Amino acid sequence: MERRAFLRNSFAVSGGVILAPSLFAQSSVAKKAKRITILHTNDTHSNIDPFPENHSKYPGKGGVSRRFELVNQIRKEQDNVLLLDAGDIFQGTPYFNKFGGVLEMKLMTAMGYDAATMGNHDFDGGMEGFVKAKQFGDFPFICSNYNFSNTPIDGHTKESIVFEKGGLKIGVFGIGVELKGLVPGRLYGESKWLDPIEIANDRAAELKKKGCDLVICLSHLGYEYSSEKISDRVLANKTKDIHLIIGGHTHTFLPEPTQEKNLLGETVLINQVGWAGINLGRIDFEIDSKAFAKHDVIEVVASK
Amino acid sequence: MFKILIIFLSGAGLLACSSVNTISADSETTSITKEYEVSSKIDTIVQPYQEDLKTEMNEVIAQAEKDLVVGRPNGTLNNWATDVVLVSQTRNVRLSIPVMVLLNVGGLRNSINAGEVTIGDIFKVMPFDNEIVWAEMPIEALKDIEDYLKKSGGEPISGATMTSGALKLNSENPEAKTFIVITSDYLLNGGDKMNFFEKRVSEKSTGVLLRDAMISEAKSQGTLIWNDESRIKL
Repeated sequence: MERRAFLRNSFAVSGGVILAPSLFAQSSVAKKAKRITILHTNDTHSNIDPFPENHSKYPGKGGVSRRFELVNQIRKEQDNVLLLDAGDIFQGTPYFNKFGGVLEMKLMTAMGYDAATMGNHDFDGGMEGFVKAKQFGDFPFICSNYNFSNTPIDGHTKESIVFEKGGLKIGVFGIGVELKGLVPGRLYGESKWLDPIEIANDRAAELKKKGCDLVICLSHLGYEYSSEKISDRVLANKTKDIHLIIGGHTHTFLPEPTQEKNLLGETVLINQVGWAGINLGRIDFEIDSKAFAKHDVIEVVASK
Repeated sequence: MFKILIIFLSGAGLLACSSVNTISADSETTSITKEYEVSSKIDTIVQPYQEDLKTEMNEVIAQAEKDLVVGRPNGTLNNWATDVVLVSQTRNVRLSIPVMVLLNVGGLRNSINAGEVTIGDIFKVMPFDNEIVWAEMPIEALKDIEDYLKKSGGEPISGATMTSGALKLNSENPEAKTFIVITSDYLLNGGDKMNFFEKRVSEKSTGVLLRDAMISEAKSQGTLIWNDESRIKL
């Protein structure tokens, strides 16, 4: 299925001047469009081997080895690729019970993951267990709304990262789920969970200020709930400056990214690709930058 | 595959030049199947770990005549897992008060497929190192469990049944002021928001992992007992 969506927005520039809709200024200087390919997984849950052929739901699906081949194929075709994970890397097969996450860390490093955020199950080996396994990995964990002060994890995660690829700046931050009631208290100790919306707005604004062309939120909140509980859809609605939320936790197989409106009525994409490494998500962004002289009148509405 | 076009301003400011960023996005989700080659780089890393696990995990401990599946409100795996706990925990024990087992759907992470059942299969059902615990509950708390089951849409139970929304203990004793709920340490300590466990009068740890109980009962059953009784009718 292929479809195109055209979105309408209006913008205020600093100083409070609203640019009135009109035709695209002919004087604008078009630069060459820049591309970035975002590859993503979530809730891989220690699924290293493919599911067995007699599996009732996913016979023969998944497997780290084949995932890496697919990633490599895409890397051959695309110059600028980021490979990201939205958490729950641990727990689900004996590989985790026996080796405590060491193999998962080694494999994600070998596959060239650029970053991940922590899911609730990444606390299952305790905080010391996480740090111990993490030593076998060489990619950053981005956790923006957990305060790990006075815990063994303190200093082992980042609040946000700016990746520079092909002339683009891509800002990434990470939002985790509330641990209380989900993870035994002894496993997360004094870690504090901070309000996702507030933190997401802060980090996104900061990344925008740093000149990021794209802002990505790695989220382990879950796609949506029937209750008031904070989810990716709610997060999208109540924040601004985020372009893409890569979700996890609810093991949701989205057929295509969901489009939500943010606080300013702009479009935010949400994507989640199930679990167990059955699928690899891919979003190709093309960013076309046109420079305008001041007071140029800009059409901000794409035609149908 | 889908396409989307987003337009937004960046840069801006009245002093400098403004610029417009047009962002468009294409998306595609790819299923990982046998179509893709394996990577020798990855396989070399996995191999020693795989070998290490193989011997232990591939040990066949039982047979399953049909799939045992986890479900809501009921499932054949729900019944098997809770029965295993009830049987193994109450064997050689005489109790004067009623007893039931309560686990959680979210804790049974995989189904058991028909055919040979290995230790690895049980690990997939119960990957967590959860311990079996006993909680002695005031008899009034049965209502809380009933409410919870209605709200969640059902959890694995044994030793109790719910008919048209009313939860009853199978071993009813009109004189009992308390009853025993055998569960996991995860649920007892607030997991899945089973807050009614805060009302417990006493608790007892067993030192037995849920997974180990499943492995040893599977071994003694030989062929897994397949029971599709609907214990929960909401």
